Amino acid sequence: MAAARKRILKEYTECSNDTPPGMKINFDEQNMTEWEILMDGPEQSVYSGGHFKLRLTFPNEYPFKPPVVSFKTKIYHPNVSNDDKGSMCLGMLRPDAWKPPNKVISVLHLVRTLLIEPNVDDAIEASIASEFKDNKKGFEKTAKEWVKQYAK
Amino acid sequence: MSSTPQSDDRRSRASSRADALPLSTPPLPVSTGPAVVFDSSDFVRRKSLRTQAPVDIRLLEYVPKCDSNLVCLICQCPFDIPTMLACDHVFCRECLDHAFRAQDHRSKRCPTCRTHVDPKKEPIPVPRILLSMLEDLMVKCPNTKAGCTWLNKRDGVQNHVDLYCGFSTVECPAGDCRFSVLQKDFHKGCLHYTVSCELCYTSIMKKDLEEHQRTVCAQRMIKCPHCEVEMLRLDLKVHIKDVCQFAPTACPGAIVGCGHTCDRRFVPAHAKTCSMATMAPFFQAQKTRLDDQEAAQKLLQRKVDILEGGFTNISNIVYPTNSSDDSSFPVTNPLDPNAAEPLPETPDFRLPPASFPPPAASTNNPPPPPFDISTHHLLSLHESLREEVGRIANDLASLEGRTHLLILNENQRAKEEMLHTSAAINSLRTQVHWLLSARLQQGRASASGGASASAGGSGSASVPAGSSLGSASLGPLRRLSDSTRQDTKL
Repeated sequence: MAAARKRILKEYTECSNDTPPGMKINFDEQNMTEWEILMDGPEQSVYSGGHFKLRLTFPNEYPFKPPVVSFKTKIYHPNVSNDDKGSMCLGMLRPDAWKPPNKVISVLHLVRTLLIEPNVDDAIEASIASEFKDNKKGFEKTAKEWVKQYAK
Repeated sequence: MSSTPQSDDRRSRASSRADALPLSTPPLPVSTGPAVVFDSSDFVRRKSLRTQAPVDIRLLEYVPKCDSNLVCLICQCPFDIPTMLACDHVFCRECLDHAFRAQDHRSKRCPTCRTHVDPKKEPIPVPRILLSMLEDLMVKCPNTKAGCTWLNKRDGVQNHVDLYCGFSTVECPAGDCRFSVLQKDFHKGCLHYTVSCELCYTSIMKKDLEEHQRTVCAQRMIKCPHCEVEMLRLDLKVHIKDVCQFAPTACPGAIVGCGHTCDRRFVPAHAKTCSMATMAPFFQAQKTRLDDQEAAQKLLQRKVDILEGGFTNISNIVYPTNSSDDSSFPVTNPLDPNAAEPLPETPDFRLPPASFPPPAASTNNPPPPPFDISTHHLLSLHESLREEVGRIANDLASLEGRTHLLILNENQRAKEEMLHTSAAINSLRTQVHWLLSARLQQGRASASGGASASAGGSGSASVPAGSSLGSASLGPLRRLSDSTRQDTKL
């Protein structure tokens, strides 16, 4: 456990030295297995102008199990579940795809990349994904409305 | 496990390393030479009993920072007992065990590349160069925080902590004492009894007394590090901050960026020449004013927000169809440059509020709309709406009054007419009564007159007699004036 804590601390140092643009990490020494991340919607995406709150939770088995990413702010996105959990589970975040050498900084980059370009083939919300494919205008409109409504 | 600690510990550690690499790993230098143990002769060797857990070398502080190629990808620390797989990936033994435990029992895979691991052939021996590079890493003693200054190669750290470090905790020499002491205080015997500081009367343990007197006790006289004046520790902070003429003090212009620092006695001389110090009070005043303004502005902003919210509510109530009717009105903010297709702002006088942007959206856009104007507009619109409502209310009131009056008048007239009619009916009734009774009397009288005439026997004389009789019989009923009137008419 001590080694895991040390690793989390190290990763935090690394992340705070090289935070992805528009992100801010609130780190609590007392409870370092829960990070609160404040992220601005990337400029070039439909979420620009929004401020999103995320929670990154490290399981007890970290780094042998992946960290859990959840959106605390509602977001209209095919890869984020549209419920009160707002969980994001794809790519390296999936338990069977996670490798212990993966780092939190790459998780943060993945989240940012997904906001810019959603991954429709690995969607958790199938209806949003099909709207993204077939009616991109409509998707963008709803996404922007949600940003206005929830992410100001 | 520590009665004869030095050799036992080393042997157990060495054997654990041998367990770690069951294959034909070359014997590690760390586990061989006794020379390593005795080379730090400047420390006194311990005869006491160790209470600390074995050192976890992954938690040590490395000086300088470890090369990233010598770091285990799982724990992100320099390798502890490096273990290599056939795919050339190296991990700490403990980390790899952990990773394997988390995996499926039958098929183990490399945590990095997922290559299948054959437990019979792997792990394979680690290259000697890696081991020697790890041995050369310099670490600080884990008791650095307590005051130990030891800094050396990392494979000597366990020996140092076990045998030589004065800041390791050991069991108290008194047999019945449950506490532990620092190794350097071991020879002083049991120090775990309470004493009170002779200056501040705080009761503390004997072993902490020295530390207390040196750094904590507020009643102790100490010298100011700058001017050598003696005073109570209690007053030292205030002295250095405000009084001491020799304490380094920042220029008063520091708040506007002057980086000059000198002894307090030279500060006034510097302040005379420093333009920033001259400007500082002015800037300070400006800053407070700015803060006040900002606070006031925030308050106003909140008020405007509330008003705007109220206005939106009103317009939603008055024009409920606007918000949902997006075929005729742009729902997206026309001032928003990011809107999909900026609709031309067509003036529409049918439904005035729809030609305005929704107020909530108007604050955060890159070219912010002139805030005062839009608010002003909203407020004036609000005002005019209110006036209109007032006017309509007045009109309604006067209309109601007039209608009321009209109805009252009509009623009065109808009532009077009814009275007239009923009076007329009454008079008609009396007349009919009179006529009826007269006719009855006449009928009776003629019946009796006929009888007398037939008894008299003269038919011709009976007519005037009859008429005179009739008139005579009528006479008392009919008013005199009537007969005279008939006379005059004739």
